Amino acid sequence: MIGFESVEDVAQKLESVDYIPSREIATVVYLAAATQKPILVEGPAGAGKTELARALARCLNLKKIRLQCYEGLDEAKALYEWEYAKQLLYTQMIKEKINDLIAESSSITEAVEKIAEQEDAFFSERFLLARPLLQAITSEEPVVLLIDEIDKSDPEFEAFLLELLSDFQVSIPEIGIWKAIHIPIVVLTSNNYRDISDALKRRCIHLYIDYPEKDLEKRIVQLKIPEIEIRLADQIVETINKIRDLDLKKRPCISETIDWAKALMVLQVNDLSPQVLSDTINVICKYQIDTTMVRESMDKVLK
Amino acid sequence: MINLILNFVTACRTSGLRVSTAEVIDSARQFELINLLDEDQFRTTLRANFAKSRREQRDFDRLYNLFFHDMLPDTDIDIKNPQKDEIRNALDQIKTEINEDPLAEAIFDFLAGDPIPYLKEIQRLETLGEETTKALKSNLSQLSSRLEIMLRINQTRNRLIQLQNDNSTDSQPGQNRGMAAHLLKRLEVANRMLTQETRPYNDGLKQVNAYGKQYSGLGERPFSNLTEIEIEQMRSVIDQLVRKMKDVMSRRYATRNKGALDVKKTLRTAQRYHGVPIEIIYRRKPLRKTKVVTLCDVSGSVWSAARFMLNMIYSMQDCFSDVKSFAFVCGPTNITDIFEKHEVNKAIEKVLTDTNINFDALTDYGEVFYQFHRDYLNLLSKKTTLIIVGDARSNYHNPQEKLLDEMRAKCRRVIWLNPEPEQFWGSGDSEMNTYKAFCHEVRPCRNLNQLIYFIEDLVF
Repeated sequence: MIGFESVEDVAQKLESVDYIPSREIATVVYLAAATQKPILVEGPAGAGKTELARALARCLNLKKIRLQCYEGLDEAKALYEWEYAKQLLYTQMIKEKINDLIAESSSITEAVEKIAEQEDAFFSERFLLARPLLQAITSEEPVVLLIDEIDKSDPEFEAFLLELLSDFQVSIPEIGIWKAIHIPIVVLTSNNYRDISDALKRRCIHLYIDYPEKDLEKRIVQLKIPEIEIRLADQIVETINKIRDLDLKKRPCISETIDWAKALMVLQVNDLSPQVLSDTINVICKYQIDTTMVRESMDKVLK
Repeated sequence: MINLILNFVTACRTSGLRVSTAEVIDSARQFELINLLDEDQFRTTLRANFAKSRREQRDFDRLYNLFFHDMLPDTDIDIKNPQKDEIRNALDQIKTEINEDPLAEAIFDFLAGDPIPYLKEIQRLETLGEETTKALKSNLSQLSSRLEIMLRINQTRNRLIQLQNDNSTDSQPGQNRGMAAHLLKRLEVANRMLTQETRPYNDGLKQVNAYGKQYSGLGERPFSNLTEIEIEQMRSVIDQLVRKMKDVMSRRYATRNKGALDVKKTLRTAQRYHGVPIEIIYRRKPLRKTKVVTLCDVSGSVWSAARFMLNMIYSMQDCFSDVKSFAFVCGPTNITDIFEKHEVNKAIEKVLTDTNINFDALTDYGEVFYQFHRDYLNLLSKKTTLIIVGDARSNYHNPQEKLLDEMRAKCRRVIWLNPEPEQFWGSGDSEMNTYKAFCHEVRPCRNLNQLIYFIEDLVF
């Protein structure tokens, strides 16, 4: 079994790679790793869903394989594809050899028979183009498989994932069933764009990651930018939390908090003022309307 | 232990959480891995297995508290406090002072440790609305009985506080005080159960208030304040918008045949011509397969906005492969055909005059959902976006939000456009806050800019 000894161990290991988990995150990760179940992570954009998978890979020293979902994603792009061009090219090149092979056959049936014996040569791993899911299953080393934004994919694709996530095997008609050598740690993320099917949910352990509590966020800022003054970190986190309460098109997430803190460090700011916020607002808000709104409610945000 | 969990599972299932046997087995297996004495871990484990979306988490938390805290027989009762029958005696004493009736009886039973009659009373209240749908169509009776119980609880509380401060009884004063404190605590629990919202919590809800300000003058005027001339101007702006939408769609058709070379298919067709790639095939960009079902309120309260909404719905019909439209006041009417056969202005005219929509009736969203659920549920699939346009003012009829929840489960997204400004949502007979919990997205949509912003989000 890959992974962790206890809930505390999870927290410790994740912290060692600069990811500070809440107790809930640590518990769920531990349970998922121990029972080899996929984790379905939900939460607002930028709360650290994808980062969790990255941190898991880093702290366990595993390779991370990522599959980004989108509308129209199909098996050929997610699992495997036959390389037709290569197969055709090979057939052309070994034409002579094939002719030799069937030269002595007395009937067509016999010739077909002889070619059929060689069929494996054409439908073998050599001509198989492995996509992320197959890579994760066939990898010699255990891996972390991140299936990002599963809610963006079509319901058909979700159904197709079921076999993979419950048995960790894939069936390729020409070759047979491939079982995973190591069961990967699977993390699925969802932005709640639409509801995920019950069947898929049943196979996963659910985790909701919200924006971190103020204290946790402060710790994260201090961890990422060790040279920051505690007072400034306080102010930054306070302000960001107030901005989050505004009715924005896109709320600032943790990475924006950190970007902003970094920007303030570069500008050598020691104290937040409306002027400073106004100058650096573009780091926090990514839409013109949001920028205007924060500017308008400046006195509410900076108290 | 396992029995306790199974009881909890039954409770979860009864209240609508879908918990499968596989999930129960999973959690039981996981209990071996964690420290069971740590409640955080225990709860997290149960929650990760039983509640698999943010919406369900809130339900789960409520049930968890109810099951493992509020309803669990207090363990400290025998240690600090007098025996059960002594409590019973004390309660009987109080009861004689208060008028006898089943309600008071239920509350006292609850205090004495037998919660069943009280729970039945609450259950009766919760289901009251559904039973009386046909006759009354109102949730007022439910509210008034709720009030009655609250008054009764207050009365009991006052009496208990009196008892707490009353030292004159012959038994030891300390004992009395402890008992009263304990009973007050139970009473609080009873009160909390009564007043608690059972409405699901909808955190994933996308609520859009911001919008681009493309047309400064006209764009900001609410639909209801438009003058005759402005309506004409508005028409032309909407026409422009519709043209823009069609452009985008035709562009999508045009690019369908361009794109990356599809080697697989090209080679396959080349086989027909002895391996010479005569026909070259490109990877096709699939057309948007989204289906749209719209439900549009055309009653008096949204009269001014209805026209524009219908206009918008009409234009949507050209942009998606499958659009079904319904207009309603107190029951949905299918207007898809009218929209398909007639030119836009005529179609809207026809909808507002020729159909058998009863414009004199009172708007009743619950009834609309009920009929839609009964007759047209098969139109909804995982590819459907359901757009509801209306102010959710249901004249105090039963909102039937459970039906909307079922509809939500069937389709991909539920979007609610409300032609009222947000401050009025939930005021008076508006059920917006009830319905909000079951939508994926809600937006106020009362002027042109907001309408344009929504369409751009949806189509482009």
